[in-house]
Amino acid sequence: METEFTLNGHAEVVDAPDHELLIDTLRARMRLTGTKRSCDVEICGACTVLRDGQAISACTTLTADVDGADVVTVEGLADGDELHPVQQAFVDHSAAQCGFCTPGMVMSVVALCLEYPDADEERIKEYLSSTLCRCTGYVKIIEAAQQALEQM
Amino acid sequence: MGPNEAGQRRQRKDIIDKVTGRARYTSDLEVPGMAFARLVRSKVAHGAIRNIDTSAALALPGVVCVVTAKDFEHLDMYYGESVLDQPFLSVDRVRYIGEPFAGVVAETQEIADRAAELVRLEVEELPILENAAAAMHAETLIHPERPADPELANVCSRSVFEYGDVDRALAEAVYVHEATYTFPAVYHYAMEPHAYLAEWTSAGLDMWAGTQQPHKVRADLARIFGVPHNQVRVRVPYVGGGYGSKGQAKYEPVTAAMALVAQRPVRLVNSINESFHTVIRHAAVVTMRTGIGADGRIIARDSQVVYDTGAYADKGPRVARKGAYRSAGPYSIPNSRAVGIAVYSNRVPAGAFRGFSTPQVVWAGESAVDEIARHLKMSPLEYRKRFLTERGEPFLGDDAPMDADLPQGLQLAADAIGWDQPRPPGRGRGVGSGVKDGGGGAARVEAEVHLHRDGSVEVVASTIELGQGPQTAYAQIAADGLRARFEDVRVRAVDTWGQRFDPGTNASRSTISVGSAVYDAACQVYAQVCDAAEQVMGTSQDLRLDGPDVVAGGQRKPFVEVLAEVRRLQPDWLGSVSAIGVQDTTKGDGPLGYSSSFYEVGHSAVEVEVDPETGVLTLVKCASVADVGFAINPEGCEGQDEGSTVMGLGHTLYEELEFNGPELINPSLVDYRVPRAEDLPHDFHTILLENRDGPGPFGSKGAGEGGTLGIAPAVANALEDATGVRIRDLPLTPERVWRALRAHEEAQQLNIAEDRS
Ligand code: FES
Ligand code: FES
Repeated sequence: METEFTLNGHAEVVDAPDHELLIDTLRARMRLTGTKRSCDVEICGACTVLRDGQAISACTTLTADVDGADVVTVEGLADGDELHPVQQAFVDHSAAQCGFCTPGMVMSVVALCLEYPDADEERIKEYLSSTLCRCTGYVKIIEAAQQALEQM
Repeated sequence: MGPNEAGQRRQRKDIIDKVTGRARYTSDLEVPGMAFARLVRSKVAHGAIRNIDTSAALALPGVVCVVTAKDFEHLDMYYGESVLDQPFLSVDRVRYIGEPFAGVVAETQEIADRAAELVRLEVEELPILENAAAAMHAETLIHPERPADPELANVCSRSVFEYGDVDRALAEAVYVHEATYTFPAVYHYAMEPHAYLAEWTSAGLDMWAGTQQPHKVRADLARIFGVPHNQVRVRVPYVGGGYGSKGQAKYEPVTAAMALVAQRPVRLVNSINESFHTVIRHAAVVTMRTGIGADGRIIARDSQVVYDTGAYADKGPRVARKGAYRSAGPYSIPNSRAVGIAVYSNRVPAGAFRGFSTPQVVWAGESAVDEIARHLKMSPLEYRKRFLTERGEPFLGDDAPMDADLPQGLQLAADAIGWDQPRPPGRGRGVGSGVKDGGGGAARVEAEVHLHRDGSVEVVASTIELGQGPQTAYAQIAADGLRARFEDVRVRAVDTWGQRFDPGTNASRSTISVGSAVYDAACQVYAQVCDAAEQVMGTSQDLRLDGPDVVAGGQRKPFVEVLAEVRRLQPDWLGSVSAIGVQDTTKGDGPLGYSSSFYEVGHSAVEVEVDPETGVLTLVKCASVADVGFAINPEGCEGQDEGSTVMGLGHTLYEELEFNGPELINPSLVDYRVPRAEDLPHDFHTILLENRDGPGPFGSKGAGEGGTLGIAPAVANALEDATGVRIRDLPLTPERVWRALRAHEEAQQLNIAEDRS
């Protein structure tokens, strides 16, 4: 089945089986490996991408379900060497260790900034609870989110 | 000379790759002609293999090959850290649910997954030993070939540490406290599942692996496949978390075996469910008797720790040995006997996990000490401070002297939660301290520093970037040794081809061992540059490297010119502006066979609130003190301690692998609950203690595990402080707390009733 969508600003058409998951389309078909696979069950958030500005889990989304949508992955955030403010905030706060959660975390914070521009600490913690990190203990990620919210 | 770069907050070398999604992990790699693999895992816990039927899988279009142990009869299929008891595919028996007995290679991952479901295993079922308690007294043996223990069945290893006269001291004690504490099996959940890519070429085996021990893996692969070390290349790109789960060989041998049969590059990427069935933390039962003298001092401790090591030894023997040894700490106890037993069972194998056997024994020891202080009507904080091992005192009988000020660290943690302030009603406070002999002892390691002609610096050191930050810390260390700029230094990713042997990235050992070798190498290169500058520029006063230039005695000259001139002036000038640094810690002895290189110390202090209606325990305040000696990268040290404390909160409050008999019933993130952002204590502090008393560069010590040690007992101690209820089993789930509160209330009512009657 053909799916037409915008991916990181470019028009794409993919011809994939009906049951193909967005995570496989991105990682295996488009070779965009920034989107990570971990839990496979929409708990960890490592595969978070934006669909029309909203955070979704690519591991439980059918590719067919992004037909006509605007999809942004972590690869689509920076403008050349110019980092997106959320990425810069993660850099400034050393908010990554192993980095495996980081693309999903960055995408979740982007979605948070769009959805709740005035989020306070409690809201940040609640929002980011659908994105797991096993390394950092979240402290520096929350600080990065606060900086991003201030700057965006 | 004091550090200049080290100690500064610096941008992580790996962070741009990581925030942009450009960082490559093994599970992202692809090479031309690559095929995809899936392992087929046993649904039976214990059985003798009768037949494996691969025909249906082989018939599926797109399947390249299906392998079983039969294909490798010419190889020694077994591996393990100290006991070679684990075959890379089941040979004649399966010993746990989830054990791989076949491997499928196919053109796509989807075909491999489908084919894996078509492979049939026929077994004759054997009696199931569902956990260590059952296995110790069973007639069936999981590894009949292993030497028998004189007392118990299915013992994988038994370690005994004894000094003083425990029996006499216990007899003389004015009070003997005895209790049993349990610690659940838990899972690392490194977010990147185990992943490997193997290819055989005319040069040998080329392997990409998410491993913490590439040199150990190389040795295993060389032995198993009968090839020399120089024909095994193990490369390690970024690794998505380890925490011990990616130590020693895991699926490297089976991936290489599949690639051998397929005659293609093969990539194996586990699902998280499979990684749950790969290695876990040992469930433990700790029984402790502690004898108290007339002055309140602990005069004796007798402990027995039983670790459930599952179906294969993995690192179990070492875990049990270290756990026994550490069970007497961190107090100064003159008489001690500690027995650590690793027991086989038909469960998922247990191995290394951050803290390495210590969280289990600290959970028991620091709960017990709190109970003792309360019995003696002493403040748990003051009691500890009085009897903690003092700086300079030999640790645990005759190990290296304590290198830390333990009471100072503990007080800092207590102060951070306002220990002396009045307690708000319904709240309780608790502390816990853990000491773990640090890694990095008993090894000679080397690292290289190369100064290129353009002034850029390359560090070659076999430490894996697992997120703990060696690429950044080593760049800081090298920049200091060379007096170069941080931004001009790069640290290479690990590759066993052309890089020096290292035992592994574990045990918080890298900074003090490999980091010291990096510093040594950088200082040697610095001396060479000074020598060249003196000959060419006539001075080496305050020499430093400023990008491409050498700056000394008020002069500035491009390094490339200094180098050319010194070689012209002195054709036999020996400086190669590269050096090999060495750190040798093989000397010394102690109870573990070598003296501890440093002590990793973690202190936790918490304030909790308990809801008596629901049993929900809320951490209001939490402070952790990491005694890092000197923080080379302060943000990195904080991040490590925050992460390890929150990981410790996991086993304290939420995490437990649940088994129905031998079957793991929650191998998914839906049912296995790890800490989330919303679980963070409202008031959460990490404090770095820097007394410059470690053996690493500038007085640094290893770090990153301490946070996991004291947190569980601190919370249980705070729970008793708040409610009067003592719980000796983890995790402290609402249900467990609620039941304990009910039982306590009922007992009190019974007492009141009895008093009345
Ligand atoms: S992999 Fe999609 S949420 Fe975990
Ligand atoms: S940085 Fe490793 S999981 Fe978040």
